Amino acid sequence: MNRSYFFKLMLLSLTLASCAQDQSYKEKIKDPELVQANVKNLTDIIVYDIFSPPVASRVYLYPAIAAYQTMQLANEESYASLSGQVKGLEPLTKSTNENVNYNIASLHAFNQVGKAFIFSEDRMNAFQENLDQQLKDKGVPRSVLKASKKFGAEVAAHILAWAKGDLYNQTRTFPKYTIQEEEHYWKPTPPDYMDGIEPHWNQIRTMALDSSNQFPPKPPLAFDLTEGSPFQIQLKEVYEIGKNITDEQLEIAKFWDCNPYVTHHRGHAMFATKKITPGGHWIGITSIATRKAKSDFQATTNAYANVTIALFDAFISCWDEKWNTLVVRPETLINKHYDEEWLPILQTPPFPEYTSGHSVISRAAAITLTDLFGDNFAFDDTTEIEYGLPVRSYGSFIEASEEAAVSRLYGGIHYMMAIEEGVAQGQEVGEHIVQRIQTFTGGDKELALN
Amino acid sequence: MKIKKLIVCLAVLMFLNCSEEEVLSTHSIPLVAMTSEETGISFSNQLVYQSDINILEYLYYYNGGGVAVGDINNDGLEDIYFTSNQGSDKLYLNQGDFKFKDITAVAGIYTDNSWSSGVTMEDVNNDGFLDIFVSKVGRHNSLLAHNLLYINNQDQTFTESTEALGLAFSGLSTQAAFIDYDRDGDQDMFLLNHSVHSVRSYGTTEKRRDEAPLSGDRFYENKINEEEGRFVDVTQTSGVYSSPLGYGLAVRVADINNDGWSDIYVGNDFHENDFIYINNGDKTFSESIKEHIANTSRFTMGVDVADLNNDGLQDIFTTDMMPNKADILLKSGGEDTDKVDRIKKDFGFEPQLARNNFQLQNKNVTFSEIALMTNTYATDWSWSVLLADFDNDWKTDIFVSNGIVKRPNDLDYINYIGGVKFSSYALNERDKIRKEIIDEMPTLKIPNVLFKNLGDLSFESVDKASLGAPTFSTGAAYADLDNDGDLDLVINNINQEASVYKNTLDKGGLVIQLNNTSNYTTKGSRIIAYSEGKQFLQELQTTKGFQSASTQRVHFGVPSDSTVDSLEVVWPNQKKQTILAPDTKEILTITYSEAQTKTSSINTEKITDFELAVLPFEYEESVYLDYERERLIPEKLSSEGPALVVEDFNGDGQNDIFIGGSRYQAGELWIAKKKGAYERVDVFAFRSDRNFEDVDAASIDIDSDGDRDLYVVSGGNDFEQGDKNLMDRIYLNDGNGGFTRRVVDLPRTNGGTVSVADFDQDGYEDLFVGSRSIPGAYGLDPDSYIIRNNQGKGLQQVLTFPLGMITDSAWQDIDADGLLDLIIVGDWMPITILKNIGNNQFKNISKDQGLGSSFGLWNAVDFADFDGDGRLDIIAGNVGENFKWKPTVSKPVWLYLDDFDENEQLDPIIFYNFFDTYVPFASLNKLSEQLPFIKKRFQKYTAFAEVNTVEQLTGKNPKEYLQTKYINELRSMVYLNTPDGFKGIPLPKVAQQSSIEDILVDPEKKTVSYVGNYFDFVIELGPLGANPGGMLSDFNSETLYFESHKSFNLPKSVSSRAVEFLKNNQFVIATQNSFVFLVTSK
Repeated sequence: MNRSYFFKLMLLSLTLASCAQDQSYKEKIKDPELVQANVKNLTDIIVYDIFSPPVASRVYLYPAIAAYQTMQLANEESYASLSGQVKGLEPLTKSTNENVNYNIASLHAFNQVGKAFIFSEDRMNAFQENLDQQLKDKGVPRSVLKASKKFGAEVAAHILAWAKGDLYNQTRTFPKYTIQEEEHYWKPTPPDYMDGIEPHWNQIRTMALDSSNQFPPKPPLAFDLTEGSPFQIQLKEVYEIGKNITDEQLEIAKFWDCNPYVTHHRGHAMFATKKITPGGHWIGITSIATRKAKSDFQATTNAYANVTIALFDAFISCWDEKWNTLVVRPETLINKHYDEEWLPILQTPPFPEYTSGHSVISRAAAITLTDLFGDNFAFDDTTEIEYGLPVRSYGSFIEASEEAAVSRLYGGIHYMMAIEEGVAQGQEVGEHIVQRIQTFTGGDKELALN
Repeated sequence: MKIKKLIVCLAVLMFLNCSEEEVLSTHSIPLVAMTSEETGISFSNQLVYQSDINILEYLYYYNGGGVAVGDINNDGLEDIYFTSNQGSDKLYLNQGDFKFKDITAVAGIYTDNSWSSGVTMEDVNNDGFLDIFVSKVGRHNSLLAHNLLYINNQDQTFTESTEALGLAFSGLSTQAAFIDYDRDGDQDMFLLNHSVHSVRSYGTTEKRRDEAPLSGDRFYENKINEEEGRFVDVTQTSGVYSSPLGYGLAVRVADINNDGWSDIYVGNDFHENDFIYINNGDKTFSESIKEHIANTSRFTMGVDVADLNNDGLQDIFTTDMMPNKADILLKSGGEDTDKVDRIKKDFGFEPQLARNNFQLQNKNVTFSEIALMTNTYATDWSWSVLLADFDNDWKTDIFVSNGIVKRPNDLDYINYIGGVKFSSYALNERDKIRKEIIDEMPTLKIPNVLFKNLGDLSFESVDKASLGAPTFSTGAAYADLDNDGDLDLVINNINQEASVYKNTLDKGGLVIQLNNTSNYTTKGSRIIAYSEGKQFLQELQTTKGFQSASTQRVHFGVPSDSTVDSLEVVWPNQKKQTILAPDTKEILTITYSEAQTKTSSINTEKITDFELAVLPFEYEESVYLDYERERLIPEKLSSEGPALVVEDFNGDGQNDIFIGGSRYQAGELWIAKKKGAYERVDVFAFRSDRNFEDVDAASIDIDSDGDRDLYVVSGGNDFEQGDKNLMDRIYLNDGNGGFTRRVVDLPRTNGGTVSVADFDQDGYEDLFVGSRSIPGAYGLDPDSYIIRNNQGKGLQQVLTFPLGMITDSAWQDIDADGLLDLIIVGDWMPITILKNIGNNQFKNISKDQGLGSSFGLWNAVDFADFDGDGRLDIIAGNVGENFKWKPTVSKPVWLYLDDFDENEQLDPIIFYNFFDTYVPFASLNKLSEQLPFIKKRFQKYTAFAEVNTVEQLTGKNPKEYLQTKYINELRSMVYLNTPDGFKGIPLPKVAQQSSIEDILVDPEKKTVSYVGNYFDFVIELGPLGANPGGMLSDFNSETLYFESHKSFNLPKSVSSRAVEFLKNNQFVIATQNSFVFLVTSK
């Protein structure tokens, strides 16, 4: 008798206690910094594990979509599902478990999907354990955490099943690029003469593009080393800029290097430095923009989903052009014809020249960000600080993308044609994406900022 | 006692081929480590980090010092000089009985801390006293010095005299080697220097003509005793390259081409080739490595020259850095990728392999590289190599010093150093970051290696304990320090006292001191010792190994129970002096005596048994790189041709020749004319079918009209199975050698072989067509076909079965039952006998016939009754012994076939036994490219390095795989047909040095002609280029050995694919990378 009374009291007080916690944790876990931390962790692992730029864009894409699709279930009135907008994605259904918290599920789905694509699972596990602890510290009840993670895992499985159909696995065993003798064809470059990266990336399933070659750039200038030919003039331009580079040009080139794997040779000693990829840089800018705009959890998730889609499709579009035109890098020709000792400011990345990947993807990302945050969104780009580079400031996303594009000329790794046509290509891809992908439905854009 | 046991065991191995159980090394050579207390030698090459001199600022920071040995005071005891990188060099006087005294300072040797690299001793002024030359890294960052020449004052003191003698070069010197290049009696000097810039882009070999003031090699002519009174730099006229391309680490003077003039071998690091400077005898050299050697070591660090098989020809051994432990191998950088290898070739560089090279000299001064066959290819990060007989058994052993303080090629290090923030590489942080980077590099001490020569080109690493504890050992030298007839060993170690090994062998050995007339060097003298009907060659040269110089005397490892009948000395002036019945008990001094010498004539006659002529047909293999589609395959399967058929096509009584074309090249018909001439005849049908690759062909009278038609097998791994470009073809003969295609639906596979015979005895010739592979699915068995000629009315496929990856076949009544059986060979399969049991039925009897241990990579099969017992024996050509894989029945090479990542492409995974541990053949990088999940399983190379089963690698049980295959025999073999089944006998070593691609037996004379070589394995397996073709004969049925061998002497690196009789004493050989050869026996 006494005992049951005691138990009732206990239960009551417990319930009261958890009710009290409820109030505070629900607000706490709406903190968009949780999303930012997730993305930053993924970036760090991508840098650590070394993914090539196109593959890295894939590693960003699926977690971002998983996170978005989960959150969208909680905000169906303001946001539209990507199912039906990107190729092959089946809709999700809301969980029947009332304990599911969609913010937590979204965070978990992001990490679970990310873990499937990266190599260093131990790093992801450590991050997830830490996140769980944080959530507990914020007072998330065990039952909520458990149910949310379970649902997050279901979303992750759903997204991974979808990802499996993108032909990535199959392309692992497609033929490598066989070096072709003729001078105008791309050849592996010093110092490591690495294999060409992802010659079959154009077969990867696009998100919003109809096909990888939906927006073919103008053909590259005809190969012609005759003094004064349009091609030769552009080749010479790369050579001359490299020789007489200004401090400003040098800083721009280095700022936008974004080469995930630069090797250094000292005799037998060889070591590599790792950095973010070009896509990673724009993920960083997205983080700056969402923070500056004080985007909420859902809007932040939305921004990443849109930008990763743009980057992903832009890489496919660019890679299609690269491996179709097979244009030789300036370094190869300059060393052979003008100056054996000439070195580009940046290490030439291991894939064909035309068009410039950074130009295409930067413009596509910039257009997407402009669509989300508006023209003349000024920002300080602090992305590269941790890689020892300074802060650069821009008046708009487009301005940043234009500097990223021309940096490749200063860096000695692209001709002007690959930059100009790359920007044009990125413009078309970006415009197509913002037209096709309609995620925010809840009013005018301004609202999305809050 | 122990040795006897092994000899017995070896005998058992050879006769019964019971090679399966491992024979543990029972050898030792009694080298005993002496302590510094005992010897008084406490020298240690101590390295101390400096901001501007460390492994990041100077790439050869860990190359260590050298040792030179020589009797500086003519007291009959050889003294020792050690070089130090950052401390003082040391000169130790030998006081006898292994006691040494440090006389560095009193002798006038500089005791500053400038960077000494190599050292050698030479009597440069012909005054009868040894001088000392020390090479310096004299111009790099804060280092400032010039090379030093200490002239012997004849009183145990020296005077440094480079300024006066014109040798005060200041740059990046590794070592000097003295050579009397003009045979004027004094010693000229080759100075080996090294570059320090990082290899960024290769550039072409044209750069060799550039000059580099600090790093280019130099040549100085000795004119001390002439008007000039000094050395004169003659680099420009000498033909010696002095370019920035050279990373010179090794130099050895030797008469490489046996013409009496000393030549120079230079070992270069990195992509620059090694050089052989052949002395033209007119004060010039011609660099000619590619005329002599097919491939060299890549990171050549040491070199020595000596006769390693007692055939009177000197062989060359160079050291490199391939690990000899599985875990180190799997986590270290190794060979270039196949692509980088091709890029280098395009820039003009010759092939190089990142492992030791053992160059066995052939009679025509080409060399066969046999490090893999002799198991001497991997001794880890190796510096000195010394070729000397350490156990006095007449056989030259191989000593290798090794070890590197920091291993910068550790792949985990390379990939994971990325965490270091180079951005903060600001002045104030530099040292901290440098140290951080250097600390990341793994450190591992390893024991030195001594290979005991067992004879017949067999070597065995002796018990490691006798070579002491693991060290970082660099320069090394040998000498008989206690004048007891055997060779002792001195080694310069980094951060550790020098090692001094006393040879405690108590018997045997002959040490010879040569004394020439004054003003004439003894270096370059050759001595031949004659003993019990055998002869042994030594050439007196001292600078050898790495940065070091060994004894100034000549040592012969005369066993204690052996006598020397006579010695023949060929002095450097080429006069010959003979000493009969020399006393071998004491050190023997031989003094030049004009009265006793006579002029020696160089035997320049090339001993050849065959004459070569060429037909100007050059096979043009189309470039298709299979491994760019199938990353994990061990070899290309798209380069199988050319086909070769010898037949009288026009009925004029003379044999004509058909040679198949490669893809995009038409096959050709060469018709015999008068006087052994051949004329090419244009055949329209061949030209129009040039899109086919003709991999094999046979003549057959398919339409029963009495003339010989052609069946041509098509191949290629570049088309899908079933593609029309893979269809076999029949060409009908009009009786006059005119051919037209008869279009019939024939097999469309990557073909391998065709054999013609009337197996059903109906009077019409039938066919077996064997297939090579399924394109894109390496390892799986394609269908092969037995096709019956239906009495000339048509072809009838009577059997279609997946038999294996077939390369050759033959119809032969192997069991003498009157029915023709089918014998087929191929890859990952045994010699296979399909017994004809009548009624178009065949039964596989290989296993019952004892051929279960014959799973190989077979290329050819033929037959003869070798042992004369009335039964036909089998002879088959395989990859040979000069190969990285050394499978046995108990330790096969495994091929696992499955679609591990479920992407509907086959993933062939190979495991092989590498120094007693199973390892995956493909690197982690290659595996992860094809199977991304592998990278997830092994994030660090350290983890991958522990893998020794396929289940560990893939996580999947082999029982669930699609198929598992293996190889347990890679030697070329004879299988004797006995009542108890077939008994395998390996062909002699001379026929195992490369692959045998085709065999032609003369069943009457029982001669075996063989040709081969193969250049289409991936670079990790390397080129097989050491088969110049040859003929084995005189099979002794007692010893089971071919007692006679003659070489065809085909040019270096010719890849021969087929040999046929043309007429009496004449063969025709089809090659893949050269002309068609006609070989006539003299």
